[in-house]
Amino acid sequence: MATPVVTTSSGPSRTAPAGRRPAARLAGRRAWVVFVVPFAIPFVLFYLAPIGYAIVQSFLRTERSGGIFGQARTVFTGFDQYAAVFADPVFLQGIGRMLLFGVVQVPIMLALALGLALLLDAGVSRFKRFFRIAYFLPYGIPGVIAALMWGFLYSPQLSPIVDLFDAIGPRPDFLGAGTILWSIANIVTWTYTGYNMLIIFAALQAVPPEVSEAAYMDGAGAWRIAWSIKIPLVRPALILTAVFSIIGTLQLFTEPIVLRAISTNVTSGYTPNLLAFTIASGNNYPLAAATSVVLALGTFVLSFGFFRFAQRKGWS
Amino acid sequence: MSPTPWRRRLLATLTVAPLVALAACSGGGGGDGGGAAAGCEPSDGPVELTFTSWVPGVEEAVALWNEQNPNVQVRAESVPAGNAGTYSNLFNALQANTAPDLSQVEYDSLSSFRLQNGLVDIAACAGVTDAQSQFVDWTWSQVQLGDEGVYAVPQDTGPMALFYRKDLFDAAGIPAPTTWEEYYQAAVALKAANPEARITHFPQQDANWFTGLLWQNRAGLFDIEGDTLSVTVDSPQSRQVAEYWQRMIDEQLVATNLQGFSTELYSAWNTGTVATWVSAAWGYSTIRDNAPDTAGQWAVAPMPQWEAGGASAGNWGGSTTAVFSGTEHPYEAAQFALWLNTDPASLEILNAEGGLFPAATAGQDLPALSSGVDFYGGQPIFDVFTEASGQVDTDFTWGPTMTDTYTALSDGFTAALNGQGTLSDALGAAQASSLDALRAQGIQVEG
Repeated sequence: MATPVVTTSSGPSRTAPAGRRPAARLAGRRAWVVFVVPFAIPFVLFYLAPIGYAIVQSFLRTERSGGIFGQARTVFTGFDQYAAVFADPVFLQGIGRMLLFGVVQVPIMLALALGLALLLDAGVSRFKRFFRIAYFLPYGIPGVIAALMWGFLYSPQLSPIVDLFDAIGPRPDFLGAGTILWSIANIVTWTYTGYNMLIIFAALQAVPPEVSEAAYMDGAGAWRIAWSIKIPLVRPALILTAVFSIIGTLQLFTEPIVLRAISTNVTSGYTPNLLAFTIASGNNYPLAAATSVVLALGTFVLSFGFFRFAQRKGWS
Repeated sequence: MSPTPWRRRLLATLTVAPLVALAACSGGGGGDGGGAAAGCEPSDGPVELTFTSWVPGVEEAVALWNEQNPNVQVRAESVPAGNAGTYSNLFNALQANTAPDLSQVEYDSLSSFRLQNGLVDIAACAGVTDAQSQFVDWTWSQVQLGDEGVYAVPQDTGPMALFYRKDLFDAAGIPAPTTWEEYYQAAVALKAANPEARITHFPQQDANWFTGLLWQNRAGLFDIEGDTLSVTVDSPQSRQVAEYWQRMIDEQLVATNLQGFSTELYSAWNTGTVATWVSAAWGYSTIRDNAPDTAGQWAVAPMPQWEAGGASAGNWGGSTTAVFSGTEHPYEAAQFALWLNTDPASLEILNAEGGLFPAATAGQDLPALSSGVDFYGGQPIFDVFTEASGQVDTDFTWGPTMTDTYTALSDGFTAALNGQGTLSDALGAAQASSLDALRAQGIQVEG
């Protein structure tokens, strides 16, 4: 995810406080290079350059002369590929599917994460460290492994869960056309709840204990303290996790591509990211690039839009 | 604090330099046309070749070659199956000029690799055109790609037949179906005997299985006449196949929730709820290895026919050994490809280790391919496949953008399996998608 970018972008200019002697000041001023270069080189090489390359590609088109297998060359084509992206019903359906997914899954996951963080912070548990690690553990499991594992739990033939439901009521179909999206949502929630909990928990740790104590002295109960004191104070962390989650939703890829091996209901353009991958597999790099750029811009607009919205509402 | 000019210059350099480098790389991507080898001369001195393949045990055949040819050493690299990511990697490697000298490529993808300037025409290399007589007819027309060139050496084939649970058929009193109509009747009878039972599964991802069925009905997907390419995915012949299977889906005679090659399917085989598989010669090991509980209960019959008394078979899969355009040693690469797929010792290794059903006619006489197979009750099943191999239509042509054709078919299958469309719709969508994909590659098409 985008964590490293966010955490490192604010640092460099504050590294050198103004020194007394001119030489020291100069050395101090140069020191930022040492700090910035190790970050800047990979950032440019593996982040900015590929993005730039994708943008260039997205304005090209393949032309061929001399028969079917003749000479190919790429020519500038303006915004044609972008027009094709927006004219593609599969892309639009994929975006719609992800929006539906995000509207349902993100609030559920963040509510869970907030609840768990508050529980840990309230200190009712004697095994705080254990639970903190236990909740976070799913995030440490590679996405492919997690999806494979859940695939077995969803499988109609192999799953103990399906058998259990079967014994007490109607047999569920976790891989059906109407349910697969929510089966994916379940995996994502399982994976990222602990991660988001940790961010919120860290913010809760920063809440001065005297504030809670004062509220307690004024007669507020634990619920009241959580609702009126703690949650308002960790709003910035909530906003941050929401933005990360929106980005993650639009980039959904691993879970659908893994579940595709066992479900007949994940199409090649099920998520926009999967669609870009499919197009690139077909050697149509310009269209794949345009799709990626549109997806990136969409993600940018949505996450920053949410950020601005939250700011205007005075949430952060 | 505002950046000094020096800083600004540094930042600008850091930002722009990689872009310039990348742009320089992409500028050279045009390639040299069809990769035609005007001449094909032996190289001086020792040669090293790289070769990627996903045939299990291919390293052993390569080791034998290396022993016999100290001056041409081949380094074999084992990779996942083509459509499981290797083709994408190879296409990217071709763009970056880091592709291997040779690779395993399936018949249906040869045209796509040629379109991306990936293949060397090895017709001019010594011994290549003379080798034609050593291979099953249709495999040679597959590697010629509709012109005079030779773009790969056939390796193995996947002539199709019917794997069926003889015990279940016997119990229900059904003989092995010889026509598709009888196959339908068998599906009805099996379901009547056991409401849970389905005659087969309709896999959503295995679009190339479906094209094998189309191949049997002579429903060619593409047609190349000189410089004109036409798309014929949606044709009366393909519609006939689609409508037949649509009826099987509509009447719930086939399992619609099982993906091919999935643990779920294997579980259904083991429990006997899926009773047949119309599959290729290489499928014998898929069943043997994944449905061990059913040993001795399967048998193989020829593929059901569209007309009583017909003799037509489809083909599913099968590979070639292709020489890639980046190679500096096309002659040695071609010699290795020929040896790998015609030398009796090599064929025996590839069959014993990799289970390949050889494209070389000599390979079909291997002892392992003429004796009975225990798992199939001692039936000499490869006799059926050898016969089927001779019944495969030689004119079937793949398009150069098969990935898109397959993708559209698979996506259409999803809709059909959910009752939100039909298999005929899938054909229509694949037709349109193929046309789009070809135009995106700058090809003039009709269809």
